Amino acid sequence: MSQPKNASSLLWGAVGLGGLGVLGTYFAAGHERFWANWVLWFVLMFTLGLGSLFIVALEHLVSARWSVPIRRIPERIATLLLPAIPVGLIALGALPVLYPGTRPEAAHHPILAGKAFWLSLPFFSVRTLIAFSLCVLGLWVLVGGSLRQDTTKDPAFNIRARKFAPAFMAIFALVITLIAFDWISGLTPEWYSDIFGVYVFAGAFLSGLAATALAVLYLQDRDRLDGVKGDHLYNLGAFLFAFTVFWSYIGFAQYMLLWYANLPDEVIYYKVRLAGSWRAITITLASLHFILPFFALVTREAKKDPKRLRRVACLMLGAHVLDMYWLIFPALGAKPFFSWPELSFALFFIGGILLWIRAAMEKGQDMPVGDPFLREGLEFRL
Amino acid sequence: MSETSYSVLGVFDTPNALMRAIPKLRVAMLGTVEAYTPYPIHGIDEALGHRRSPLGGMVLVMGVLGALTAFGFEYWISAIDYPIITGGKAASSWEAFIPIMFEVTVLFATFTAGLGMLFLLNKLPFFGHPVLSSKAISGITRDRYALAIEAEDESFDSAAAAQALRDAGAVEVEILPAPDRSPFLTSDYILRTLGGIFAACVVSGLAIFFLTKWFPLLAPMKYMQDQPRLNAQKPSTFFKDGHGMQRPVAGTVARGYLPTATGTQDAAAALVNPLPRTKEVFAMGRKAYTIRCEVCHGALGNGMGSLTAAYGGKPANLQAQQFRDYPDGKIYWAIVNGKNAMPSHAADLTDSQRWAVVHYVRALQRAQNAKDEDLKVVAP
Repeated sequence: MSQPKNASSLLWGAVGLGGLGVLGTYFAAGHERFWANWVLWFVLMFTLGLGSLFIVALEHLVSARWSVPIRRIPERIATLLLPAIPVGLIALGALPVLYPGTRPEAAHHPILAGKAFWLSLPFFSVRTLIAFSLCVLGLWVLVGGSLRQDTTKDPAFNIRARKFAPAFMAIFALVITLIAFDWISGLTPEWYSDIFGVYVFAGAFLSGLAATALAVLYLQDRDRLDGVKGDHLYNLGAFLFAFTVFWSYIGFAQYMLLWYANLPDEVIYYKVRLAGSWRAITITLASLHFILPFFALVTREAKKDPKRLRRVACLMLGAHVLDMYWLIFPALGAKPFFSWPELSFALFFIGGILLWIRAAMEKGQDMPVGDPFLREGLEFRL
Repeated sequence: MSETSYSVLGVFDTPNALMRAIPKLRVAMLGTVEAYTPYPIHGIDEALGHRRSPLGGMVLVMGVLGALTAFGFEYWISAIDYPIITGGKAASSWEAFIPIMFEVTVLFATFTAGLGMLFLLNKLPFFGHPVLSSKAISGITRDRYALAIEAEDESFDSAAAAQALRDAGAVEVEILPAPDRSPFLTSDYILRTLGGIFAACVVSGLAIFFLTKWFPLLAPMKYMQDQPRLNAQKPSTFFKDGHGMQRPVAGTVARGYLPTATGTQDAAAALVNPLPRTKEVFAMGRKAYTIRCEVCHGALGNGMGSLTAAYGGKPANLQAQQFRDYPDGKIYWAIVNGKNAMPSHAADLTDSQRWAVVHYVRALQRAQNAKDEDLKVVAP
């Protein structure tokens, strides 16, 4: 077993190297850039964890059986919300630097003055804390309960989870909307779009699905998910396929309405993203987040082909990073920043996320062995 | 030959017995093996050796074609055939096309999926598959599982097929006749279809006629018609005289319509046409002449317009020597002030249009009374 050890030390090395770069960014590359990167990776960690928790809750909500054997994987990835909380608390330091609504000048701004209370630093922080505690509640009930069921084998958990799932959907909608509106569109508080929360939700769900698919394939390669078949992979692939379309549907709907109305304070959001180098990034995003995965997954065979699914899942995670970068970084100026600070942040956080998920994958059972529906899920056929 | 045997149906008690029998029957090569079960059985497609349905590929191709069709159509309409700028957007804005492209993609794809399945793959229409009239069908739709060996050609041996099915474990065997593939579009069928359409038209037409008569509908949306505004030729309480349309303020003339009076016609003879004889001026004159003058003076200016016959008027024949000798100014004066029965066109034609008409009338006169030197070819 030297290979996992090597991989582990490689990851620790990446985290250490990235950490140095992160510190260097703070002192050498300017606070704005540091905080923009920090917020980007906070949002990425958070959406990945929350998207995975959504998959878990969705299973309980609709009493899905097919996903019971692989439910432990999104449950483990959802624990990423726990390290995301300290990262988010540190990110509160970005508020006075990056978020115009929290600065004292906002009180004199003709548009922001009316939203001053909502955007102010105290209320912003309170909302974030509420979002965090709601997430912890969701984790406790859905993931904690499922882990405890491994030993108790008590079917009462399934009933409790089924009752809690509808409430969690409301919580989820609130939390993802708060994160999207506060942390992402709060960077441009004059601009707003009703559907922005749904747009971020689509990306979060996709990233959770992609991470789940990757982890399922990873465990399958190590023969740890005995009984999970192409039929299960097919469902994951079909979800990925459907939600690439959903993401682009929402993204384009938002763009088209703003483009049509052409109101200066609304359309500026896309104006900056369609000028200069951002234009190329926008087109790349549309291709990587929609066109490429759409055609890669369109056939029935592709959705259950492990090789294809692994590539598309990696692509979707990368596209989600690009999507959030595309949402956050224009706040820094007309020129997209990409250099050693961004790379070190990526090294640091990707390394950290992988270490966390690897550690989570080693703990406990690979399947919810106490779930009475596990057998039914294993017998799932399309 | 009274009846061709089309297939032999063997009934099994359990799905497992059915699945075990399939490979045995397939290696026997007696005909196409087909399964009839009350619900889908996992793995039966692979066991029967069904190749992948081409429907998915058809749907993809038609979906892409739908998107391209919608894009091409919209681009042609809004950027080429009838470009209207709306909302300050370029006529060829692809963003506005996307929703319709999406809809047409879905339309093409679903129609291909539905109709392609029914007509191309299931080979409809054909009435009455023999399995439907078999004795076993009530069991097959409930709790029995059947395999059929279907004839591929004339050499189908139904006795051998029946024996093979029995050997494979079938509890009952039934020989089925050939399906009825008689022509679908018989004259009787066409007549009945047309009769049905006719009856439906009559009934719905009468229903709409009486319903709208007995229950008058609300007026359609006519907000544009009902808006508060002054309508030409309509009374209005806005002005004291009760007219919607008002005369111009005394002593005023609209821009471009000066002069309105030039003294007597003889005094106007001294006026000189200020416009050059260019192609554009002749085009403008021709257009104004066609609209304002041609109806009486005729396309050639010979006084044979379409109104002459209808009303018995006698408009001036502009080809007459008298008018060919007129100076430009006198024609201009007649346009501005009118002459005899001809009303003034001062309000209808701008000053440059009037002079352009004068040039055009001169061109008409010259065309009807050409001189020899006009025939010379002008070097380009």
